[in-house]
Amino acid sequence: MNDGCAIVTEGLTKSYPHGHVVRHLRPALRGLDLRVERGEIFGCLGPNGSGKTTTIKLLMGLIHPDSGRATILGQPVAAQGWRTRVGYLPEHPYFYDYLTAEEYLDYAGRLFGLDRATRRARREQLLAQVGLARSARVPLRRYSKGMLQRLGLAQALVNDPELVLLDEPMSGLDPIGRRLVRDLILDLRRQGKTVFFSTHILSDAETLCDRVAVLREGALLKAGLLSEILDLDVAHVEVLLASVGPEALPAGLGPAERLGERLRLRLPESGLAAALEAARAAGGRVLSVQPVRQSLEDFFFRELGTPGKEESWTVED
Amino acid sequence: MDGGGLRRVLAVATNTYRETVRERVLYNLVFFAVLMILSGLLLKELSIRQDEKIVKDVGLGAMEIFGTAIAAFIGVGLVSKEIERRSLYPLLAKPLGRGEFLLGKYLGLCFTLMVNLAVMTAGLYLTLAWTGRRLDPALLAAVWGIALQLLLVVAFALLFSTLTSPLLAATCTLALVVAGRFSDVVRNMRELLPDVPAWLPTLVYYAVPNYRNFDFKAHVVYRDAVPLGDLAWASLYAAVYVALALGLALQVFRRRDLN
Amino acid sequence: MRPWPALVLALLGAAVPLVQQRIDARQDRWRAQAESLYVGDGRALRRLLPGFEVLAADLYWLRAVQYYGGKLAFEVGQPMPLLAPLLEITTTLDPRLEIAYRYGAIFLCEPPPRGAGDCPAGLRLLEKGVATEHLRHAWGMYQDLGYFRFLYMKDAAGASRDLMRGASEPGAPPTLASLAGSLLEKGGEARAARRIWKDLYEQYPEGYLRDNARFNLRRLEALDAIEQLNEVGQRLVAAGQSRPKRAEDLARWGVPPGLLRDSTGVPFEWDEARDSYYFGRSSEFWRPR
Repeated sequence: MNDGCAIVTEGLTKSYPHGHVVRHLRPALRGLDLRVERGEIFGCLGPNGSGKTTTIKLLMGLIHPDSGRATILGQPVAAQGWRTRVGYLPEHPYFYDYLTAEEYLDYAGRLFGLDRATRRARREQLLAQVGLARSARVPLRRYSKGMLQRLGLAQALVNDPELVLLDEPMSGLDPIGRRLVRDLILDLRRQGKTVFFSTHILSDAETLCDRVAVLREGALLKAGLLSEILDLDVAHVEVLLASVGPEALPAGLGPAERLGERLRLRLPESGLAAALEAARAAGGRVLSVQPVRQSLEDFFFRELGTPGKEESWTVED
Repeated sequence: MDGGGLRRVLAVATNTYRETVRERVLYNLVFFAVLMILSGLLLKELSIRQDEKIVKDVGLGAMEIFGTAIAAFIGVGLVSKEIERRSLYPLLAKPLGRGEFLLGKYLGLCFTLMVNLAVMTAGLYLTLAWTGRRLDPALLAAVWGIALQLLLVVAFALLFSTLTSPLLAATCTLALVVAGRFSDVVRNMRELLPDVPAWLPTLVYYAVPNYRNFDFKAHVVYRDAVPLGDLAWASLYAAVYVALALGLALQVFRRRDLN
Repeated sequence: MRPWPALVLALLGAAVPLVQQRIDARQDRWRAQAESLYVGDGRALRRLLPGFEVLAADLYWLRAVQYYGGKLAFEVGQPMPLLAPLLEITTTLDPRLEIAYRYGAIFLCEPPPRGAGDCPAGLRLLEKGVATEHLRHAWGMYQDLGYFRFLYMKDAAGASRDLMRGASEPGAPPTLASLAGSLLEKGGEARAARRIWKDLYEQYPEGYLRDNARFNLRRLEALDAIEQLNEVGQRLVAAGQSRPKRAEDLARWGVPPGLLRDSTGVPFEWDEARDSYYFGRSSEFWRPR
């Protein structure tokens, strides 16, 4: 196993018992081979039920694999030594609602063996960083979902970890919160840390990740640099026009959609000049010209087909 | 366990104690205190010449019943609740071993119960003083017996909660207490059921924790001296069984997938 | 709260006691039967409550005391069928509860209206107690056995045996042996009875039982007075005079006034059926033949 990698998995497999009367095994993860380099932001993508959370729980040692192995920071999962250098945020986290944020971070710090002064310093810094400084003394039972999520991030960073695993870090956050988390993750990379996060929100992956792995029904579809997976050349151009009708435009350019007073065109790049000419000639105004590259969503639709009945994924949450 | 491990166990224990305090677990003490005082004052009127004995009987009996119920129900919630609510995930991700976690939980709850017991004992003594009775230090032998019983009940509650759902775990814990109380019936079964092979009731008798070992209430109320040796052996028995139950719990917990 | 829901709740709250009264009225019919329910069997109860037998015994003792007291207060003269079973259960649950044997025996032995009037049951209770390991050497139990056997069953010989048994136990007072002796003397019985009641009077704490001992003591004194009145009456008859119906009329012949009434001040009267002077009908010492 390569020591330079933050996470390596080989043939990781896990099945769960399913059903009430007759129990059969349902595979959640099938032979996952993954490699996460140090210092990168790695996204684990897939629809719900594709095995993302199972992967993270296996990596954190919360569940045991049926077969295969994994190493974290060069050490096998079973060795406990790496835990002082890793941070983890579970999906839909629950913290003790009878504690305050301050107390919870202090408790987390004690579990890392930090002394009191360090604990206090980290607490204050992290609470400020996630925007909970004013609610530090409020019992957690009064926290909203978004606040809990941000506290979750804070507790994941208490020990200033080298590697951070986040399971659906954006879930439950409003746009401001999401911006905050995004900035935080980018900041972590700037500090040289590794971030591994799972999400079913494709736009987050597009903005943040260096490399991604795409899972479906427990199997790895594709993994690699985003630029390798996606064709980043311009696929088409979107033009928004006003005060002009489709009849004024040359035929065969591409689909035109009426939005009230405006007209939206999807054109190949080659047809852009002709369309703009025609619009100006007809007295219309050009509101915007937007080049569109292939998105993860397109990739998904292409590779995975339309969503199955158990799957779902979204562009924006 | 090294120094760091001990610190982590203590961190879990203090947090557990804090949980029971903030979740108002100990409010039963108020109820108990009221019960005690009422019984002391009321029974004095109802009975002829038995008021001191009755106050002691009611007091010790209530301590045992309340204490056991709390030990069972909260002990069961300790692990089950954490798994159900996933509060365990972020904790075990940290350098906190599963054994350290269990031990910390156990110690925290035991501490809560001992505080509980101490307050109830003080309440009993206060009631006796209020009704004008001498304070009898021999009562403490019975209290110690009750304490041992509670320590054992919590250990079993912890064990069952690693195995199954909270409701089932609580039922099993209490069933074991009842079975343990009837251990003499089990022992006598050898005579009662001659058809059953002799080793079976013997096995059951030794397997089920014998809670009668900890019962010094009748001795204390009738002022029989409780030999220190009896207390020591009972303590040893409790210690061995607690270690057994916690050890089993750890083995189960280590292998368990947290879902 | 808005008026309508408050009104409905108030009506419901008022309905509860009304309905309860109806139910009580119906169930009073079979309340007597209900008495015998939920008493249970001592050994079975003991099996069911390991570790709490002593507490249960306390509660049953309370029940017995309340039952006895309740009968005395509200159902004077009514039989007490549950007293013996309750005491039986109490002493089965906790064989060491000495007080249940001794006071229970008195409750059972005293004739109505002050007790159940079942002295054999009372003596059986005491005998059950001295058969147990713990109370085998309790001299007080033997004392009570002897006393009650003599006072209520009039069995002087048997009582004497009980007292001698008790006298040999550690801590027994010397009076036990001497009392045993005087019981066997001819004519010593009356004196013995008086001594016993006096002793019991001194033993019991302030309360019902002490009052009971005092009552019996006064009764014996009154019976002594009656004997003397009878002698006076006989002398009159022998002298050809008629015996006055009311004892007070004997004052003419110089009988001191203290002998003419019982301690509550009710004068004695001639009782034809008993062929003796006896307590007045309104006296609390009066008993039917």
